[in-house]
Amino acid sequence: MTSAEGLPEDTAEDLFENAPCGYLSTLPDGTIVRVNRTFETWTGLLREELVGVRRFQDLLSPGGRIYHETHYAPLLRMQGSVREIAVEIVRADGTRLSALINSVLESDEQGRPQRVRTVVFDATDRRRYEDELLRARREEQETAQLLSRSLLSGSLPAAPGLEVEVVYRPAVSGLEVGGDWYDAFWLDDGDTIGLVVGDVVGRGIAAAATMGQLRSAVRALASTGLGPGRLLDALDAFAERHGVGTMTTLIYAELGLGSRRLRYACAGHPPPLILGPGDDPSFAWEGRSTPLDVAPASPGARREAALALAPGSTVLLYTDGLIERRSESLTDGMDRLLAVAATHRDDTAARLTAALVRTLHDPEHVDDVCLLAARLR
Amino acid sequence: MTAVQRNNVVEHGRPDARPMLLAHGFGCDQNMWRFVWPEFAEDHRIVLFDHVGAGGSDASAFDRDRYSTLQGYADDVLEICRELDLTDVVFVGHSVSAMIGVLAAAAEPERFGRLVLVGPSPRYIDDEDYAGGFTREDIEGLLESMDSNYLGWSNAMAPVIMGNGDRPELGDELTNSFCRADPEIARHFARVTFTSDNRADLPRVRTPSLVLQCAQDAIAPEVVGEYVDRQLPDSRLVRLAATGHCPNLSAPEETVAAIEAFLAA
Repeated sequence: MTSAEGLPEDTAEDLFENAPCGYLSTLPDGTIVRVNRTFETWTGLLREELVGVRRFQDLLSPGGRIYHETHYAPLLRMQGSVREIAVEIVRADGTRLSALINSVLESDEQGRPQRVRTVVFDATDRRRYEDELLRARREEQETAQLLSRSLLSGSLPAAPGLEVEVVYRPAVSGLEVGGDWYDAFWLDDGDTIGLVVGDVVGRGIAAAATMGQLRSAVRALASTGLGPGRLLDALDAFAERHGVGTMTTLIYAELGLGSRRLRYACAGHPPPLILGPGDDPSFAWEGRSTPLDVAPASPGARREAALALAPGSTVLLYTDGLIERRSESLTDGMDRLLAVAATHRDDTAARLTAALVRTLHDPEHVDDVCLLAARLR
Repeated sequence: MTAVQRNNVVEHGRPDARPMLLAHGFGCDQNMWRFVWPEFAEDHRIVLFDHVGAGGSDASAFDRDRYSTLQGYADDVLEICRELDLTDVVFVGHSVSAMIGVLAAAAEPERFGRLVLVGPSPRYIDDEDYAGGFTREDIEGLLESMDSNYLGWSNAMAPVIMGNGDRPELGDELTNSFCRADPEIARHFARVTFTSDNRADLPRVRTPSLVLQCAQDAIAPEVVGEYVDRQLPDSRLVRLAATGHCPNLSAPEETVAAIEAFLAA
C-alpha cells in the first residue's frame, strides 16, 4: 500500500487548471466563459483573449466551423451532449491542434439551454493514424476498381453473322467493386466461342482477385478442348486445390457458329435464356450442378447439356442481380425476365440487353448486374 | 418508389389547410424543425421530409448524376408537391434548402405561395466582388472534417449516440437518424452544396420571400443575407437576435414569430 501522505493536496482548482485535458465552459451561443490552463498551454491562446471575447467555434478551422454549425451544434441542442467530435483548433501561432471534444449542454428546469461544458483531448497521433487508415482504405478501393476494370475490358469476339453484347452495371451504392464477371473468347478451332458469366462471393479487392484467377483458369482450361462439363470439373479441382473461389456460381457455354450448337454447363448459376425467332423465350434448365468447390471435387460429376439453335437465336447469360428484387421471389423475377425478353426477341443483341437492364434492373437493388448476349444471324 | 417514400415524407396538422413544406439543410434531417412545426400545425398542413441520403430517406435512391447539382434536390421537392397535390405552398428552407426552394419556386411558381429562407446563401465561396465567406480550401477542409468524424462514418454509430443518458428532447427513434447520413452521400452533398452558385437564380423568383438572417452566422454571413434580399424581386429581410446558423434550434420562438408575422402580412 502506498500512502498519499506527503504529497501536496490535489485541490479541485488545481485539478481543473492542470488536468491532462482542456476544459472550456461556454454560453449556449459558444461564447467562452471559462477555460483552464491546459487549454491555454496547448493552444497558446490566453484566457484574457478568450473569455467573454471569442466563441468556441471561432477557434476552429474554417471547414471545422461549418461542421460545427451543421453537425455539432444541432446534435448538442437535440441530444444534450455530443461525444468524440474531431476538430482542429487553430493555435495562437496559426498551427492546428487535432483534438477530440466531448460536450454537455446544461439546461434550466424549463429545458432552456444555459451553458455548455467541453473537454478537449489532444488527438494528434490518433488523427495521424486515422488519416493513414483512411488513405489505405481509399487506396484499396482504387486498386480494386482498377483491377476489376482491367479484368472486364478487352474486345469481344466478332464475326460475320455473330453479335456479342455485354452490359455490366456495378451496384449503385458503395465504392467497392462487386464479384460479377463475364468473358467471351475464341476457342482454337476458330469457329467456336466460349462464353462465361460468373458471380464470385464477396466484394472488394479479394473478389476482384478471385475473379481474375477464375477468369484466367477458365480461359486456359477452355483452350484444351475439355468442353463445358469437364471444364467445370477441372475448375472445381483448381478451386479446391488452391483455395480460390469457393461458392462461386458460373455458367460456361461454347457456341459453334457453323454448327449453331450450344453446349453449356451451369454451376449453381441462373439458367441461360434462349430466344428463338418465333418461339417464346425459355430457360435452359439442363446441365446443372452445384456452385464451385462446395463438395470434394469428383471428376465427371459436372453435367452439361447441348441444344441446337435456329438462325436468329440469342443466348443470354446473366447474373442474379437482373432478376432479384428485395420484396419478391426469384420466380417472379424470372417470369418478368421472360416477359420482357419476349417483347424484344427480334431486336439486336445490343437493343435486347439495353432494354433488359432498363426494364428489369431494380434501382433499389444493391447487387451488380452483368448480362452477356450472343446472337446468331 | 414514390417521392413520398423516397424522401420519408411525414405529415402533421390539418390536411385541408394551407400546406407548409419544411426542408432541412446539410448535416441533419427533418427533426431540425422539431421546435418549429408544432407552432404552425393548427392552421397548416405540415409536410416534413428528408433529402435523399439523410435521416430516414431511401439512400438507395441516391444517384450521383441526378444530385450533382441542387436542381436534383429541387426536383425532389417538386415531385413531393405533385404527389401530394400541394398548391399555395409555404416553403420553409433552412441553409442549403433555402436555395433548393428558390430553384423549385423558379421552376414552378404556381405551386408556391410564400418562401421562407432561413440562413440562405446562393454561393459560399468568395468570388470577384462577392464575399461568400469561404475559400475553396475551406471547403476541402470541411470534407476532411467529415472524413475524420465518426458521425455516419461508422455503421456502428447508433449505439454510441444512443448511449447518452440525458437526451431531454429526443426519443430513441431520433438518435438513430439525426445527423446520420450515408458518408459517401453526405460528402457528395457537402461538395454540391458548398460549391454551388445560384446567384443567377434569385431574380427568377416571383414568390414573396422572407430572408431570416442570424447574427454571427459563420455559414451565411449578414452581407450574404442582404445580397439575397436585394436580388429577390419580392423579398423582405428580418434580422434575428439569434446567433449561429440554426435559429430553428437555438431560437425557435423568435424564428416562429418572424414567420408568423410574414405570413400574416
